[in-house]
Amino acid sequence: MKCHNTKSRGLPKSAPDDIRILLMGNPNVGKSVIFSKLTGVNVMAANYAGTTVSYTEGDIHYGRKTATLIDVPGTYSLDATSPAEEVAVNFLEDGANVIVCVLDATNLERNLNLALQVKHKDIPVVYALNLIDVAESKGIQIDVDKLEKELDAPVIPTIATRNVGLKELLDKTWERALKDPVPTEPTHISHDERWAEVGRIVENVQIVEHRHPTFWERFGDLAVQPIPGIPIAILVLALSIGFVVGGGQGIRATILLPLLNNVYVPAITTFVSSFVPEGILLNVLVGEYGVLIKGIEWPFFLILPYVALFFIVMSFLEDSGYLPRLGILLDSILRQIGMTGSNVVPMVMGYGCAVPAILGTRAATSKKQRLMITGLVALAVPCVSQTGAFIALLGDQSVFALVFVFLTSLIALMVAGAIMNRLIPGENEPLLMEVPNLLKPNSNALVQKVWLKIKQFVYDAQGPLLLGILFAALLVETGLLLVIANVLEPLVVGWLGLPKEASLALMLGIVRRELAVLPLLALELTTLQLIVGSLVGLFYLPCITVLAVIFKEFHFRLAIYTLLFTTLTAFIFGGVFNQVARLLGFQ
Amino acid sequence: MDLANYRKGKPCIIEHMPKNNLLNSMGIREGSRVSIKSRQLFGGPLVIQYGSRCLAIDKKIAEKIKIKEV
Ligand SMILES: Nc1nc2c(ncn2[C@@H]2O[C@H](COP(=O)(O)OP(=O)(O)OP(=O)(O)O)[C@@H](O)[C@H]2O)c(=O)[nH]1
Ligand SMILES: [Mg+2]
Repeated sequence: MKCHNTKSRGLPKSAPDDIRILLMGNPNVGKSVIFSKLTGVNVMAANYAGTTVSYTEGDIHYGRKTATLIDVPGTYSLDATSPAEEVAVNFLEDGANVIVCVLDATNLERNLNLALQVKHKDIPVVYALNLIDVAESKGIQIDVDKLEKELDAPVIPTIATRNVGLKELLDKTWERALKDPVPTEPTHISHDERWAEVGRIVENVQIVEHRHPTFWERFGDLAVQPIPGIPIAILVLALSIGFVVGGGQGIRATILLPLLNNVYVPAITTFVSSFVPEGILLNVLVGEYGVLIKGIEWPFFLILPYVALFFIVMSFLEDSGYLPRLGILLDSILRQIGMTGSNVVPMVMGYGCAVPAILGTRAATSKKQRLMITGLVALAVPCVSQTGAFIALLGDQSVFALVFVFLTSLIALMVAGAIMNRLIPGENEPLLMEVPNLLKPNSNALVQKVWLKIKQFVYDAQGPLLLGILFAALLVETGLLLVIANVLEPLVVGWLGLPKEASLALMLGIVRRELAVLPLLALELTTLQLIVGSLVGLFYLPCITVLAVIFKEFHFRLAIYTLLFTTLTAFIFGGVFNQVARLLGFQ
Repeated sequence: MDLANYRKGKPCIIEHMPKNNLLNSMGIREGSRVSIKSRQLFGGPLVIQYGSRCLAIDKKIAEKIKIKEV
């Protein structure tokens, strides 16, 4: 999944005879699904508006010819209102040989409004009438032949997730691309004239019958009523957390730990020591911080079970269309801290990884919201790897500590949000958000999505983790750790009340968030120390990748502020908490 | 009457509303037929239905949208 890239891989800039095909349409109509199916390049698709926030290019083939297909963010009109919409509009201004305009059959009126704007651009258009399965279940029938006549261009009914109609869409697109364009004058009509035209077309081509609402439709309606919406939200949250924590603990206890301790560790240790003599090298490979021990144990045996289960839950939530509904329920609370319900999607994504969450803010319409989400995610939202590390560290020893750490992170979100709301200038944006159809996630798409996310996770995490562990092994084996630990002793031991060796976590935590937590596993800490160590890890600087993304999306200054502010918060809060708890007699 | 205070579930027609490009291109404009699907606690947004689709709009915006019953 390309969700961690700001841009797609660099294809050679188009030669003059290169055929460029642009996918345009309203948000959340299935453009990215169509793109992935036609090009084989997997891009993120999810059931809410604003999934795609930058462009991706991919090749499509027809006989011996190749063309570049471009997926851009969805847009409600050609007057962009967010950085994401701007990307789409700019691509249209740059021109293309053909536009594939994707229409949502469940919302023809609004989609035609954009279609007519695109049509007047003097670029040949092919229309994909997508989501006809959902339209049918809602009793919406659209006369495709009549619509073709009205739009004076091919209209192909499609069900993108099930590959229906995509072959024909591709054929028609190529037909248009290879035909010499007939120059037409771009026309301008006023808003009102266009809406009148849209109204006339819809009247002419669409018939709506009353249908009994499906289970998913009814559920979607109930989920936005305060009652039973709020109980439903609590249930969804509880089930999700139970699934990830309980499931992860179960998998680890029954399968992974026995496999690790009885099979993997003895086997690899015997194997390596059969040809590596005792000494530093052996210890670096299979010793206390052995790269082949911790470098496998931490990512695969500790973190991955939680990560994989989290990806399953997240993908289900993303594809069902539930998240924007949660946003509607939470809007009035979020408003207290200067955010809106539409920020729930990037915030929830932050519990996976801060990078897509920060990039996802490009779909937000105000700069203030972008800054708020970025700051909050960087400070107090643990990413999924760190959450896995928390569960591994605290879950067995003290469930209380685990709950406490997560409650603290929620309270910190509210407090930091309230403060940032005061500090960052700008008005509170009123909420204006599309409510997607609540859909039963397509099981093939779901499996593929989870698999891609896991692959991406392993790919992203394994390198930095191995480097971090190698670094740790060298520090330990060369005795350098002791030297550094002595320097940091006043902070780590005196102020935070942790053992000296915990300074390793502070050093490794710069690389990845979970590495600020995992080294504590070996230290036999008291409950108070576990909580302090976790709180420091939670508020400590986000990983280096996140700082780099903040630098790229905003400016260098903001990255430095984030670095200083998060680290200071971690030390001040962790230390004060420790000192107060000790004064009160906790150990 | 304004949309924010209108009865839930009954269709109405928008008579007058402030200029808002995003709302307009989402399909909410003078003459649109809409109905209220839900209200939230503590002055949260309204979910309104138009055609077969729904939109969440801030109560503050809804208060400025004047409607008439049908
Ligand atoms: N049932 C059904 N679901 C579909 C169909 N096409 C797309 N979807 C789902 O609709 C949702 C939106 O698809 P995307 O491809 O992310 O939409 P998009 O147009 O790229 O959206 P933005 O990037 O936000 O503009 C996803 O959850 C898809 O799985 C379809 O034909 N039938
Ligand atoms: Mg997309």
